[in-house]
Amino acid sequence: MTVAGHASGQGGDRLFRSIAAAKPGLVTGVPDGMLAATIMACAASPDFPYIACAREEECIGVASGAAMAGRRAIVMVQNAGLLNSLGAFATMGLRYGLPFVVIVTNRGALADPNGYDIEKREAFDAGVRPMARVFDFDAGDFPEDLIPAAFKWAEAARKPVILALEKRLGSGEGASA
Amino acid sequence: MSDLSNLPSQKDAIATALALYPARPFAVSDIGSQSGWLKAAGHDPRNLYVSGPMGLATSVALGLAAVRPNEQVLAIAGDGALAMNLTSLATIVGAKPKNLAILLVDNRVYEFTASVPTPTRDMDWLAVGRAFFGADQCMRLSDLTPERWAGVERPALIVADVAPAPAKPPALGLTPAMIRQEFLAAAKA
Repeated sequence: MTVAGHASGQGGDRLFRSIAAAKPGLVTGVPDGMLAATIMACAASPDFPYIACAREEECIGVASGAAMAGRRAIVMVQNAGLLNSLGAFATMGLRYGLPFVVIVTNRGALADPNGYDIEKREAFDAGVRPMARVFDFDAGDFPEDLIPAAFKWAEAARKPVILALEKRLGSGEGASA
Repeated sequence: MSDLSNLPSQKDAIATALALYPARPFAVSDIGSQSGWLKAAGHDPRNLYVSGPMGLATSVALGLAAVRPNEQVLAIAGDGALAMNLTSLATIVGAKPKNLAILLVDNRVYEFTASVPTPTRDMDWLAVGRAFFGADQCMRLSDLTPERWAGVERPALIVADVAPAPAKPPALGLTPAMIRQEFLAAAKA
């Protein structure tokens, strides 16, 4: 899959449109193949800054800084990246009650059987789901208003929310790679 | 660094750095010593006391700087803390925030953890900072005046050698909800 192929992926376009519809103050992330098209679209957007972090835990800090100032912030990482960041997620997002949105590509699904992803998914289920609200979606078939709806939930709950996107058998193109 | 007793305290170094600005910047401090000494140096609604994990203040400050581009932001990190999030310096270089600076207070110990020595105690933080930000944007606090600081481009790193404190700073006495509410009001003002 080429870079141009990522950028033209329908899942990436749809996710970007949903992100833009939420009018975020910033978006931050560390790339995953399934997020590449969306990240490139965010980085090119004139409507909000995209902050490319060197490490996923930083993303939680960046989002927390924006949320502390009352702005909407979105994090985009792979499941393994969120696992690296649980201390920050707990001590900033949960402790301060910050309503940011974390988009996680939940690799290692039935339709995404890379051997190196399987344990990440199992650790995600064991480690993340007990401590935070996770809503699961097909990466190739989610509602256009997903991100605005996630912010409404997070702002009502006064806590961060996690959207787990995965490849599903029989689904459409989806966010690729 | 043989005689540490002649160095300023962390509290005084923080106060000196804040006084470099013509108007009070947002100050984002790491958990433990930095938050305690920032509050002891002077509580202000624009102070954001980060509750962890260690080292995250630079990343939180970057997010704040991105959504408040017309305000100055100062992240306050200890040497032990910054070493835990050294990659944030690379991220900040890439993001190029024109309103963010970092004050590194180097006391060579984990002050909140029985003053156990940090693994970076012999490291040349000025050289590290200059590798990331360049010589013109990384300097010692003792070499700065308000006039010189006004001409320094951001992002920038200020290195302050400080004396280890004989005791921990006073407790914050603030709940996370109190910190968030007060800071939110200041950030929206």
